[in-house]
Amino acid sequence: MNFIKRGLLGITRKKGKSLILLAVIFILGNLISGAISIQQATNNVESTIKERLGTAAMLEVDYEEIEAMSEEEWMELEISNIDIDLIKQIGGLSYVKYYDYSMSTAIGSESLESYQGEETEEEHIIWDGPSMEFTLKGINYAPVVDFEEQKGKLVDGRVFTTDEVENGSAVAIISNKLAEKNNLNVGDTLTLNNAVYDYSESGEEELIASRDVILEIIGLFEPQSAKEDKGESSDGGMMDFMDIDYQNTVYVPNEVVSSEERYYWEEYVKFDNDYADMLVEDDDLEYYTPIFFLNNQEDTEAFKEEVMPLLPELYLVVNASDQYEDIAGPIESMSKISGYVLLVAVIATVLIIGLVVLLFLRDRKRELGIYLSLGERRSRVVGQILIEVMIIGMIGISLSLFTGNFLAQGVSETMLEAEHDQFQEDMMVYNEFEIDLTTDDVLESYEIQLNSNYIVMFYVVGLLTILVSTVIPLTYIVRLNPKKIMM
Amino acid sequence: MILEAKDLNYFYQDGENRRYILKDTSASFEKGKFYTILGQSGSGKTSFLALLSALDSPHSGTVLFNEQDIKQIGYEKYRRNNVGIIFQSYNLIPTLTAVENVLVPMSITENELPEDKKTVAYNLLDYIGIVKSKADRFVNKLSGGEQQRVAIARALATNVELILADEPTGNLDEEMEQEIIDIFKKLAHEHQKCVIVVTHSNEIALQSDQTFSLKKGVLTADE
Repeated sequence: MNFIKRGLLGITRKKGKSLILLAVIFILGNLISGAISIQQATNNVESTIKERLGTAAMLEVDYEEIEAMSEEEWMELEISNIDIDLIKQIGGLSYVKYYDYSMSTAIGSESLESYQGEETEEEHIIWDGPSMEFTLKGINYAPVVDFEEQKGKLVDGRVFTTDEVENGSAVAIISNKLAEKNNLNVGDTLTLNNAVYDYSESGEEELIASRDVILEIIGLFEPQSAKEDKGESSDGGMMDFMDIDYQNTVYVPNEVVSSEERYYWEEYVKFDNDYADMLVEDDDLEYYTPIFFLNNQEDTEAFKEEVMPLLPELYLVVNASDQYEDIAGPIESMSKISGYVLLVAVIATVLIIGLVVLLFLRDRKRELGIYLSLGERRSRVVGQILIEVMIIGMIGISLSLFTGNFLAQGVSETMLEAEHDQFQEDMMVYNEFEIDLTTDDVLESYEIQLNSNYIVMFYVVGLLTILVSTVIPLTYIVRLNPKKIMM
Repeated sequence: MILEAKDLNYFYQDGENRRYILKDTSASFEKGKFYTILGQSGSGKTSFLALLSALDSPHSGTVLFNEQDIKQIGYEKYRRNNVGIIFQSYNLIPTLTAVENVLVPMSITENELPEDKKTVAYNLLDYIGIVKSKADRFVNKLSGGEQQRVAIARALATNVELILADEPTGNLDEEMEQEIIDIFKKLAHEHQKCVIVVTHSNEIALQSDQTFSLKKGVLTADE
């Protein structure tokens, strides 16, 4: 009849009280379980979506800070460019898996037909004005980060060599669709046209100068957008536009873009001397957009902290995962609510179970006094009560593990529907990261699961809460005086 | 000498005044004897027993068990291993059967006991007058006399030499009272236990080997 056996007998021989305690723990356990289920589901959404958003980081001008400036500050505003040395320094940080810096320009062609999408293939589009249908996208990272990040996939030929990138060789990688439309293959050449127009007077453009950009095709790519596999997108028009834009992108070494930019402005300033004064230095023509890909999602904050002091004034680091907040409104609010519910449930459990246990202990004061008068150690008397409460707690928690999870599913569905109605206009990310995720994607990835993480978390939180709520009234036992009880 | 009380003082603080319950109380007790401590209500006899059983501690003075201060032994340990206590209101655990109540101290004590504790418990109950069919009943299904017998069996369960009883027959009729007193006499004389009973009954006191009277906190040994 040691204290463990006494504890077990205490449960079975006092069925009424055990059932009351079980009911209380079960009800409160459902609250805790439901809240944890929702928390876990929202956390899963966050990690899944952030994973899909990727680890890209860019350096951007902080427009919010500029907007907050006074007129005087604004007049004196001078934003310096991010120079290549700084990009290389940041790219050398241990958090960075690989990085690139890119210079892009729009360019036309007299001999090349642009890709206009599947639906508009047969339509005849008349453009009024100079054609600039192609994007000449410079790269510095020879294997092409867009391919590494699965935005596009090389389907024929090869990527650039380091020599080609360094020397600015006239080589290009174009989309498969663009190649098909113009009957081009790897090894062929394509001719783009860098035309310089003057738009300054009367709105009519006037050709000032032009030169051909002849590039050898070394590879063909196909876009790998996630939306392509999903069939109809929630915003087909915008997706088509983005797709067409990408199909008409021509990857070249940065030096090719830089050289064409230089030519353009050199020709332009010949025509417009006012501009010549503004472009004093050659550097003004070299504006690179850097992009860094980190090793892990978890590195984003550390990367930000390390990079921020290196940046010129008014610049900041923007991570792809920062966009999460923009599209995860409904989930974020559910996460907040479930957090509050969890906190309230834990506090309520501590108070209510503490009170119930204290009342039961007062009722058993004589029994506890008997154990003490027989010389039982107080720690074992405490142990006996703990065993009784924890076993009932374990049963209650185990029951509410399933029902709370089930409850959370029902509550989540109702809450998500209500929240989604408020977000009728699906938020969607269109930015320099070119990630196509919508609020619907976020809601789709929300799933209440009965997985091991949830089970472990719930048992830990549940049993710890019950333990704390039992320990407080147990101080009552420690202070018991057997003489006062027994005599 | 198994137990000795030396210059025990015990008082209640009433403002700045001390109200003495026991004043310089001394007494000694031997094995094989049945002692009674006689006194009226409020005379301090229960407080004296509480000090002897280490349920309370004196403000000054010592209680020696086998010439060792029980404070040094440790009050809890002393109660666990050296003394069996019987209360007026039995103080049994109502959710346990009679035999389970006897088994409780057997699991608490550090004294060496036979392996088959349950058999020992049944035998003890049987010796005290509780047959097996009654031993398996919950204690609140037993009569007062039977409950007090269970309490005596519980006090004996740890094989201690010292039995202390606080008004053990206070809730019993005369016939039952005599049966219980006979058990105490038997324990003292046949089993060499030291039995100390606190009572207000002269009849019981007359049957003891030695009586101490307690009046206004002063203990005197009767001739």
